[in-house]
Amino acid sequence: MMDVSRVQKELVECNRDKAISGVCISLADGGTDLSHLRGTIFGPVDTPYEGGIFAIDIRLTSGYPFEPPKMQFITKVWHPNISSQNGAICLDILKDQWSPALTLKTALLSLQALLSAPAPDDPQDAVVAKQYLDEYPTFVSTARYWTEAFAKGSSVSIEEKVQKLVDMGFPEDLVRSTLKSVNNDENLALEKLCS
Amino acid sequence: MANGEVPNTASSPAVADPSESGSGSRFECCVCLDLLYKPVVLACGHTSCFWCVNKAMHGFRASYCPICRQPYYHFPNICQLLHYLLLKLEPEAYKRREMEVFEEEKSADIYSPQLVDQLCEKKLNSGGVGSSEYVDDSRHTELLKLSPEKTMKRSISVDDVLCSLCEVMIYKPMVLNCGHVYCETCLYGLSGDPLQCQICESLHPGEFPNVCFDLHHFLEEAFPTEYAVRREQVHLKKTQSLAVIPSANAVQTQNLKAKIPSETMDSWFTQDMHDIHVGVGCDSCGLYPISGKRYRCKDCKETVGFDLCETCYNTTSKLPGRFNQEHTPEHKFELDQSRTLANIFLLQRTQANTTVEIPPEGFEADALSVADTEHDYRNHDDPGRDDFI
Repeated sequence: MMDVSRVQKELVECNRDKAISGVCISLADGGTDLSHLRGTIFGPVDTPYEGGIFAIDIRLTSGYPFEPPKMQFITKVWHPNISSQNGAICLDILKDQWSPALTLKTALLSLQALLSAPAPDDPQDAVVAKQYLDEYPTFVSTARYWTEAFAKGSSVSIEEKVQKLVDMGFPEDLVRSTLKSVNNDENLALEKLCS
Repeated sequence: MANGEVPNTASSPAVADPSESGSGSRFECCVCLDLLYKPVVLACGHTSCFWCVNKAMHGFRASYCPICRQPYYHFPNICQLLHYLLLKLEPEAYKRREMEVFEEEKSADIYSPQLVDQLCEKKLNSGGVGSSEYVDDSRHTELLKLSPEKTMKRSISVDDVLCSLCEVMIYKPMVLNCGHVYCETCLYGLSGDPLQCQICESLHPGEFPNVCFDLHHFLEEAFPTEYAVRREQVHLKKTQSLAVIPSANAVQTQNLKAKIPSETMDSWFTQDMHDIHVGVGCDSCGLYPISGKRYRCKDCKETVGFDLCETCYNTTSKLPGRFNQEHTPEHKFELDQSRTLANIFLLQRTQANTTVEIPPEGFEADALSVADTEHDYRNHDDPGRDDFI
């Protein structure tokens, strides 16, 4: 039996200071299932991931918080410890080093830290890790390219987001400026518009 | 020592705003992120709820503190001092927790030790487990009634935080496995290995305790003058006797960076751990899982059963069961070998087409959540058993 009240508390707690922490969590696909969530982290500054917004699929098992949350990148990332194929993450605290005192927020912050400090010696993606070790400049430019290509909302989807929010009854100008202020994150924009 | 009365208001720095329902309080459980309920203090000094520790413990190897990862093998008793302190500090939130937890316990038919609400009846002494302090029968329902005087905030005084030994205000509280609280210096003054509690006479297995910093900082804030006086006294004593007390701080920070060793199936066997009783804990000392001989009570009717490890069986422990079992000294025990790791794997091999699940983490096979695995074991095991799993 998953600890529902803890998960609810975690969501409130995490989203309270998302402007400072750079991570936030929402329900996946706007659903109501607390065991399927979506995390968002901002790419850390001074890294090839800067400016990117990375979405992470979070699934909680019935054993949570005594078992680690299952996390996987939805956004494609070029990183030694993240699979470039399916977004699987190699991070000890999501495996045997998990502790029930850790939270979804601390796990997402750890992912952010992982983006800043790759561990190529313990890779998830061997190709990326090899490139990181052998041809670092190529790695940096590939990672930056992937960030540009996948971690920044394309113009088409921005129009879709604008339309969706306008359909909800918000004025278009306000929607555009709000979306811009939150790096085109639809959920964040909606919360800001509602507040 | 004068009784420093502390007005218990929301503005008091140590007391959380009750509207926050426990979160953000100094006494927030690191696992459920709610107000601590029936607090248990691990040897490393970190605190968690009774059920949170229970569920976080591992069924067939060492458990690790969620905060500092210090390994431990014993499920400590509830710290009654802290329990009554919380009941006084945040009566409403604490009663809410009590009711929530009781509902969960009812649905799982397994109960945590019931503690009497002594606040109205007698002066609070240092907390800990003594069999007389437990309610024997018809125990649940009455405790849950919300009478006005029970939810009223009471101011706490130095009398609520006395050391079990020196009987003045605790300084640098340390909590033994039995749940009794001592000053750091008092505990270092006790001779004997293993440590023995002076109140309930139970032995303290495992690591020498660390200072419980949650309580320490609370006392510092709630009783600034009195605590400073105690600090002076202890310091004076220390310099006089030149007693060398190893710093608990050092031990703690040492462990903060600790990692859980990655254990594999192989390493369990090479460590000769085949006599581990998976998912079975000792109801006296809290050893979990029991390794070596396991004695099972034949007369306890509760599904959770009543078990003792060899040491506690031989010392005829006086402590009541960890799950409120109605165990009495007249009950008979039998040696039980059915759930050792070795037997389970043997069983798994012989009955290859039926899956035998090793219960997940948690004391007594985490009975709150895995009651359904019970049937598997009953069917595979000898059918006449009335024991849980």
